[in-house]
Amino acid sequence: MQNFIDEFTLNFIEKNRYQYIAEGFINTMIISLFAVLVGIAIGFLVAIIRSSHDKTGHMKAANFICRIYLTVMRGTPTMIQLLIIYYVIFATVNIPKVFVAVVAFGLNSGAYVAEIVRSGIMSVDEGQFEAGRSLGLNYRQTMQFIIMPQAFKNVLPALGNEFIVLLKETSISGYIGLTDLTHGGDIIRGITFSAFMPLIAVALIYLLLVTGLSWCVNKLERRLRVNER
Amino acid sequence: MSGNVLLEVKDLKKDFGDHAVLRGISTRICQGEVVAIIGPSGCGKSTFLRSLNLLEAPTGGSVIFEGNEITAPGTDVNKIRQKIGMVFQQFNLFANLTIEDNITLAPVKLGLMDKEQAQKRAKELLGRVGLPDKADAYPAMLSGGQKQRIAIARSLAMNPDVMLFDEPTSALDPEMVGEVLELMKELAADGMTMVVVTHEMGFAREVATRVMFIDEGVICEENTPREFFEHPGNQRLQEFLSKVL
Repeated sequence: MQNFIDEFTLNFIEKNRYQYIAEGFINTMIISLFAVLVGIAIGFLVAIIRSSHDKTGHMKAANFICRIYLTVMRGTPTMIQLLIIYYVIFATVNIPKVFVAVVAFGLNSGAYVAEIVRSGIMSVDEGQFEAGRSLGLNYRQTMQFIIMPQAFKNVLPALGNEFIVLLKETSISGYIGLTDLTHGGDIIRGITFSAFMPLIAVALIYLLLVTGLSWCVNKLERRLRVNER
Repeated sequence: MSGNVLLEVKDLKKDFGDHAVLRGISTRICQGEVVAIIGPSGCGKSTFLRSLNLLEAPTGGSVIFEGNEITAPGTDVNKIRQKIGMVFQQFNLFANLTIEDNITLAPVKLGLMDKEQAQKRAKELLGRVGLPDKADAYPAMLSGGQKQRIAIARSLAMNPDVMLFDEPTSALDPEMVGEVLELMKELAADGMTMVVVTHEMGFAREVATRVMFIDEGVICEENTPREFFEHPGNQRLQEFLSKVL
């Protein structure tokens, strides 16, 4: 027991080393939160373009661009994308690393969100669309008031899953020298040479974050399900 | 035929690829008429009905509604559809909305009524279809017959000039068919112009002012119900009637 306390003190208390974890935690939260928002924005936009194209045959050029985006984002590792965005695209400009990470993870997540949302749109019965149009609502109104709310409800579990993946994926941020939660733990490990404490602490924090996120998604899901019975 | 011509269909054609579903349909539907369309499955009767509000885009011919050729390019189809109600076999109530919102959505979003007026109208309509206490329910909580009555109320909220019914009772349990047919009968009695694709021969005989038999994409016979059922001229119609009656 004394050993445990000593280890804990060494890794977190001495010289305020917990601050590495705290800084990493804040960065991880910022990156995850904004990357999710970017991912949702891009994902919904791409999904709407893609499914509108499939339904109406319009927007051929936009659909083509979306497909290239999806192919590239889903076809290359996230880490490579992060490195390319930092070392190639933003190589000559001096911008905060957190911003780079938000761009990289947001762009990456957007591709997955897009396909999730598109599957949601396709899962809504065609009759819902026809009923909206037959009342005189236009395409946009029908999508906005009838199709998208149902699609969103249908894909919420899959979206929650994607956000969990995204949150954990940010642990590669250390590769561009950014102190995220994982990297913060690693810094402590490098100083104290003890593996157990920093790694377990970092793992527990991720676990808590993901559990909290799942809880929120579940709650939202239950709330949206009122119309089922 | 009497009264003003509301819908005129000229040589309407529709094919899906190589498969010709409608091979030239021409007819006129006048104000106050109740036209029942019958025919074997796959004959094109639903496609014909769906062409009248352009849910299916015809590949040939024209549809003229209240003097405007709605099949002409550049027609504001959304505007036209506001005046043409449609009731579906599968009801298609908006699953994400309460019954009241189902009824008020289109009139409010299209700027025809403000929220308050629309809610008042919804209340009236719910009373009329016999479901005054369902305003706050969701579609999933209702029986098939109730859903279809709400779907009719939703159409009526737009004050349509004509209503299209696409096999409105085909997806219902037998004991619920009556309540929907009864409501449709009342609509007809109130003078609503109706075009009804149906398998309910009793309804066609009693309520319709004209019955139309479509087979293989053409109108084989149309007549008053009495003549239609008692003296069918067309041989395919005779065969069809012998099977269903």
